[in-house]
Amino acid sequence: MATDAPSAPAPPPQATPPLVPAKAILELDGVVAGYGRTTILHGVSFTVKQGAITTVIGPNGAGKSTVFKVVFGLLRAREGKVRFDGRDITNVEPRRLLSLGLCYVPQGRNVFPELSVRHNLDLAGVAAGSGIDFPARIAAAMERFPMLRSKADRQASTLSGGEQKILEIARGLLLDPKLVLIDEPSIGLSPLMVQEVFAVLAELRAKGVTVLMIEQNAKSALGLSDQAIVLELGRTRHQDSAAAILADPRIGQLFLGGAMGQTAPHVVDAPPLA
Amino acid sequence: MESLLYLVLAGLMTGAIYALVAIGFTLLWQTSQTINFAQGEFAMLPAFFMLVALNLKLPLWLAILLGVGVSILLLGLAFKRLLVDPMLRHGVLPLAIATMALAIFLKESVKEFYSAEAQRFPSLFPEQKVDVGGAMISIQSIGVFLVAIAAVVALQLFLSRTRTGRSMQAVAQNPTVARILGVPVERMILLTFAINAALVALASALVTPIYLAKFSNGEVLGMAAFVAAIVGGFNQIRGAIAGGFLLGIVDNIAAAYVSTQYRAAIPLLILIVVIMVRPQGLLGRAEERTV
Ligand SMILES: Nc1ncnc2c1ncn2[C@@H]1O[C@H](COP(=O)(O)OP(=O)(O)OP(=O)(O)O)[C@@H](O)[C@H]1O
Ligand SMILES: [Mg+2]
Repeated sequence: MATDAPSAPAPPPQATPPLVPAKAILELDGVVAGYGRTTILHGVSFTVKQGAITTVIGPNGAGKSTVFKVVFGLLRAREGKVRFDGRDITNVEPRRLLSLGLCYVPQGRNVFPELSVRHNLDLAGVAAGSGIDFPARIAAAMERFPMLRSKADRQASTLSGGEQKILEIARGLLLDPKLVLIDEPSIGLSPLMVQEVFAVLAELRAKGVTVLMIEQNAKSALGLSDQAIVLELGRTRHQDSAAAILADPRIGQLFLGGAMGQTAPHVVDAPPLA
Repeated sequence: MESLLYLVLAGLMTGAIYALVAIGFTLLWQTSQTINFAQGEFAMLPAFFMLVALNLKLPLWLAILLGVGVSILLLGLAFKRLLVDPMLRHGVLPLAIATMALAIFLKESVKEFYSAEAQRFPSLFPEQKVDVGGAMISIQSIGVFLVAIAAVVALQLFLSRTRTGRSMQAVAQNPTVARILGVPVERMILLTFAINAALVALASALVTPIYLAKFSNGEVLGMAAFVAAIVGGFNQIRGAIAGGFLLGIVDNIAAAYVSTQYRAAIPLLILIVVIMVRPQGLLGRAEERTV
């Protein structure tokens, strides 16, 4: 297997599997779900390794976002199981999942447009345990993202798309999650903002936080990721290391080419560095 | 003919009442897509709860307190659980129609089980008048205005200064994201219904000493609140307040200068003009809802 190791900030040193396999923090087992009478997920199963960045790719309408909604308790799993940290969290309310250490940043705009930046952040405190010094956490978030401090009293609707995404991510991280679900963070953002968002995800991994991301911008996302899951028509097609998926010509043709707007060559180039 | 100053001051008092009723109307729409066509009857009924308490020889302040409490239970919680929840599953329109039916039911029930006659209702304030820049204004009017304004300000402070209040705003702005952050969305919606009930009960206690308690009082109040809310933008509490005052003032001036007979047509006239000139309302923004 000729692979270039993805040179994201903390890459696994070799492509050979580690001797002690990383523990799975999230497991889906035969999840079936849908909207009304239509079934979208026909038995989705995969595992997410603790401390890694895992990217879910797949064509439009494959059910990627639907998987996240099921994991986060916004959509009922009709069959199957979801386990987090060894605990069964199938169809558990978002409020409880937050306290267990999950966080979810959905696709699109997710700020409260008429609340200030500060009050958007503060709202995450509704699910904080009583022992937490929440104002201190907001201050730390503003330290990390100075834009949030300089625009703290502006209405969230006045921020640019990229700034809103940063606000959403910072808000999600206030409860110190163990696992971050993030759906298409780069969509609609400028290349510079995409880099910043991806840098935040790499930073999370360096701190031991697990990231499960959906991305259309598959080539750069996979370049950053350790693991990849390919979802198609509501089923898991592949699960492998991100490098292996990137190198797989069939996958390149199916998704990466399309997503990158290329006329899919048989060989996918080495990932560009974020 | 009354002086213009007098009419404006009287309009402020009427407007404060309209604003109270219109704010609740807007709140229900914002958090749960409920268009409550029984809102006027909601402002008529609490006075009768209070009258029942007064008939039991309870003091006025206690009767008002009990009336507000019973209103929160019946017009807030029971309304939400027994009518809004089941109907909203079928859509916004079936719910709106159900509230129209509720309006008729409440009105006819009061007529049937209490009285079809207007009932005297004691006032919290003395009868005297005071001179305000040359206009003789009753202490009653000033009291009504001040209490209504205090309630509006308290509500605004609650909504903007407390995390619970901001959680209610968050539910109105994006319920899905609110849920993702762990906001107890259902409880926040229930709280809006309780607040609406408290506001209409307060409006009822303030306005009934002036207009007397009558089963048909809701017709004027409901129309005024509806128009004030739409004129103000329908999705904004500030809009409902502005709409309420505008309507109150125009209402009083029109009654004096145009004709008392056409007074009832004034709200509709304002409504038509505003919809033609500024369809999103005075302070409104275009509705933008995402799931
Ligand atoms: N709220 C909904 N109600 C009904 N059908 C829905 C809903 N949300 C998604 N769907 C349908 O479910 C299918 C999967 O949608 P999903 O959003 O999970 O796809 P996706 O893989 O995230 O696609 P994309 O790349 O476009 O975001 C699509 O056919 C979509 O039309
Ligand atoms: Mg999606």
